[in-house]
Amino acid sequence: MSQINRRDFIKAIAAASSASVLTIPSAHAGHTKGRVVVVGGGYGGATAAKYLRMMDGGIDVTLIEANTSYTSCPLSNEVVSGERDIKTLQVGYDGLKKHGVNVVHDWVTGVDTTKKVVSTKGGKTFAYDALILSPGVEFAYGAVEGYTEELANTSLPHAWKAGPQTLMLKKQLEAMPDGGKFIIAVPPGPFRCPPGPYERAAQVAYYCKTHGKAKSKILILDSNDSFSKKPLFEQAWKALYDGMIEWVPGASDGKVIKVDAKTKTCFTNFGEHQGDVVNIIPPHHAGKVAKDLGLATFKDKWCEVKPESMESKGQKDIYVIGDSCVGGELATNNGFPKSAHMAMTQAKVAVGAIIAKMNGLPLPVPYYVNTCYSVVAPDWGFSVVHVYRVENNAWVYVKEASGISPVTMPDKSPVPKLYRKLEAEYADGWLRNVLADAFA
Amino acid sequence: MRRKYTLALLACLGLSTLPALADDSTEALARTCNNCHGVNGVSAGGAMPSLGGQSEAYLKHIMLEWKSGERAAASMNRLIKGYSDEQIAGLAKYFAAKPWTPNTQKASADVMARGKDVTDKCETCHGATGGQPDDETIPRLNGQSAMFMHLELDKYRDEAFLMTHKKMIKSARKMEEGDVGIAAKYYGNQSK
Repeated sequence: MSQINRRDFIKAIAAASSASVLTIPSAHAGHTKGRVVVVGGGYGGATAAKYLRMMDGGIDVTLIEANTSYTSCPLSNEVVSGERDIKTLQVGYDGLKKHGVNVVHDWVTGVDTTKKVVSTKGGKTFAYDALILSPGVEFAYGAVEGYTEELANTSLPHAWKAGPQTLMLKKQLEAMPDGGKFIIAVPPGPFRCPPGPYERAAQVAYYCKTHGKAKSKILILDSNDSFSKKPLFEQAWKALYDGMIEWVPGASDGKVIKVDAKTKTCFTNFGEHQGDVVNIIPPHHAGKVAKDLGLATFKDKWCEVKPESMESKGQKDIYVIGDSCVGGELATNNGFPKSAHMAMTQAKVAVGAIIAKMNGLPLPVPYYVNTCYSVVAPDWGFSVVHVYRVENNAWVYVKEASGISPVTMPDKSPVPKLYRKLEAEYADGWLRNVLADAFA
Repeated sequence: MRRKYTLALLACLGLSTLPALADDSTEALARTCNNCHGVNGVSAGGAMPSLGGQSEAYLKHIMLEWKSGERAAASMNRLIKGYSDEQIAGLAKYFAAKPWTPNTQKASADVMARGKDVTDKCETCHGATGGQPDDETIPRLNGQSAMFMHLELDKYRDEAFLMTHKKMIKSARKMEEGDVGIAAKYYGNQSK
């Protein structure tokens, strides 16, 4: 009996396969449980698209992303110092296509939230039942007088989106003489990659120290009065690059308000600093597509979302993940850091919620985790970990699980070097795995 | 039987009525582990170990030791404190139920020949290729990430790093410095 069934089954499959070839021209013409459009193919968007398809083959997924390859921002500071080949940060979208994601390389020009349709520069339209926005950040060049997008692309790279600007900054560092000054201007928080500017300072110092330029200085002009993993960075700066890195907090007139590109001079309220390399990280806010939709309700910059699902508080069936979103009132105090790891766990929460909704199931328990490694020398890394629980529709920062690598051991003795070496290696292992989890 | 085939057939047509994966709480939690340890606990390499197919007892034990502080870790000891003992047990069970998927990494003939010698003592507990653990508290090594195994041995060999398995501490500290990487590469190359 079962044998006959099996044979019939095989025949049925053969018939079904040929039928599908003949009658279903694309995955998008068939009857599916629902259509999801994902905007933005970074860590957040790629993870969302992949996991939707992997967890429920009945859902039709389109990813709209302008570029045909992605360059990871995490660990791109190692490219600036020459310690990493930028190719190790780059990945294409073939992996997602293998999962059955319809990958479209185009720019989103508009979203009709009533008709639930996304339109693109290329003249295409995509209807959705759920829309996931993972557009990263948009830079507010005008916030620093004299700074423009054109300058960023030609002479004063921010390199806060990895790619050609990262390589330009690397070249500028290589051309800097011994005794030169490398200025990093940090925007007011919250910003993408909270420990990034300070890791960059360390990587630049490492380059200088190992390339006969140890007399050089790195000046961090900060709009803020503290920063991520501060005791770990300060410890490492002193141990490895004593006297090379100077940090000027906002309270000590560190905020850069104007730049003169010709003389490479940064202006603060009361002072001016001239550099050989000037690296302005301009203030930024939620990606354009999210901001244009009026979703950036937090300080007119970031998108507020529901803790149980990542659905926008302002728009039904639109989910905002990654750097564009904000964890409610926690925005600057133990809130969601704007990191790749965070974007990926947010993506998985949104995917769980969308699949549950399309299958008429209750919402799954949302889990939010962040791990973020910083590498200050090839054998010296450290991390910060964040764990969040959702209780009564609000995020709760799980203090006992979170926090930075030890600065000293509990008995105040120095941390064994192996800890720092392990975390430098974990940073690389993390990169390989997040790229695979999001894109492969 | 017939229903099973019907469901499978519907799945082939892209008309399945149920999500491919059950969406229980452990599954959702495990998805956050995937970031570093891969889908089904199969790591993409580097310093991150594969978890899928290691024994439930081993996985649970190590996570609980990190949580209590008995055993040191550089990152996981913090993260794991965010989860209850029940959640940890659930994760151990989840990853143990996945197939062990060796990632055979290249190693030269010389490394393999020397590796056979230097891992002579490891064989008692882990088996000749690292794939036949003697009991359920012992991890599989065949096709595990070589970089991960190298760093684990470094931990066992460092007196300042708190590890718990006495026999393993003793064996690792007896190894010659130069043999550590060879042992790691030898097991990383094994498929079975």
